[in-house]
Amino acid sequence: MAASGVTERRGIPAAAFVEDVLSYLNESALDVNSALAFLQERLQQYRVVEMKLLAQQRDLQAKIPDIEKCLDIVATLQAKKDSGEALIADFEVSEGIYSRARIKESDSVCLWLGANVMLEYSCEEATILLKRNLENAKASLEVLVADLQFLRDQVTITQVTIARVYNWDVHQRKLRQAASPKES
Amino acid sequence: MQQAGTSGSEVEVTWEDQQNINKFGRLNNRLHELHDEIKIAKETCENLEDASNELILTDEEIVRFQIGEVFAHVPKEEVESRIENMQEVTAKNLEKLEEEKETVVSQMAELKKILYGKFKDSINLEED
Repeated sequence: MAASGVTERRGIPAAAFVEDVLSYLNESALDVNSALAFLQERLQQYRVVEMKLLAQQRDLQAKIPDIEKCLDIVATLQAKKDSGEALIADFEVSEGIYSRARIKESDSVCLWLGANVMLEYSCEEATILLKRNLENAKASLEVLVADLQFLRDQVTITQVTIARVYNWDVHQRKLRQAASPKES
Repeated sequence: MQQAGTSGSEVEVTWEDQQNINKFGRLNNRLHELHDEIKIAKETCENLEDASNELILTDEEIVRFQIGEVFAHVPKEEVESRIENMQEVTAKNLEKLEEEKETVVSQMAELKKILYGKFKDSINLEED
């Protein structure tokens, strides 16, 4: 019945492709209404997972530009260090209020690691760490996008199956109506 | 995307048809994403243009240029070359996105032909 050969992907069950509606209903021993109810429930479950994956995707898509900004700043600080001048920057103290800072040449930066932890790194180490984080984030995003594509395919298969089961039922009813007047 | 067939006649859906339908769905999603990405890229291009024009007009030697979350004091020439680089990168990105969009649109047109050819009225592939 499932012609795809993939039964699930990272916890998401694959939707079985139905070759033939009648044999599908016989093999699963379901009447039309139960089959439709089952498929609708599957569709709901897929939607729930889709919401979760989309939220994760948004988080990652916000994280990547942040890491790139950090890399930019560290590179700027390193370049300034070579020139021997201090970097003067205006930064936001509070919303709408800015102050000026003079950043003297320095070999190290502090990186915020999360969970109220900040560590000091040399500029080179910081660049290596940030680049690694960036690559990991991009790789995770790729996997996530592939997951979403797989999920959406399963949603489409399920929607098509629902339509086909429904149409088959309509067709059967028409056949029965056409047949019954002849019997009496 | 799918409508119930009006005539009730059974046109069988093969696994190949299902895969075509799935592919059409994926392409349609990608098309929407591309629309958004192209819009953002065009806005960035415009912003960089405006920034570059402001630079020409200003007579200050030191410009406050945003790096990360702060505004660093950077000499005007360096800001000019930074903005030029950013413009180049954005323009290339925009070109790549437009090319991808054209590929996606033509693939979708192909699939529409195939699917409408087999299913005619039983399938609806238009944007609601």
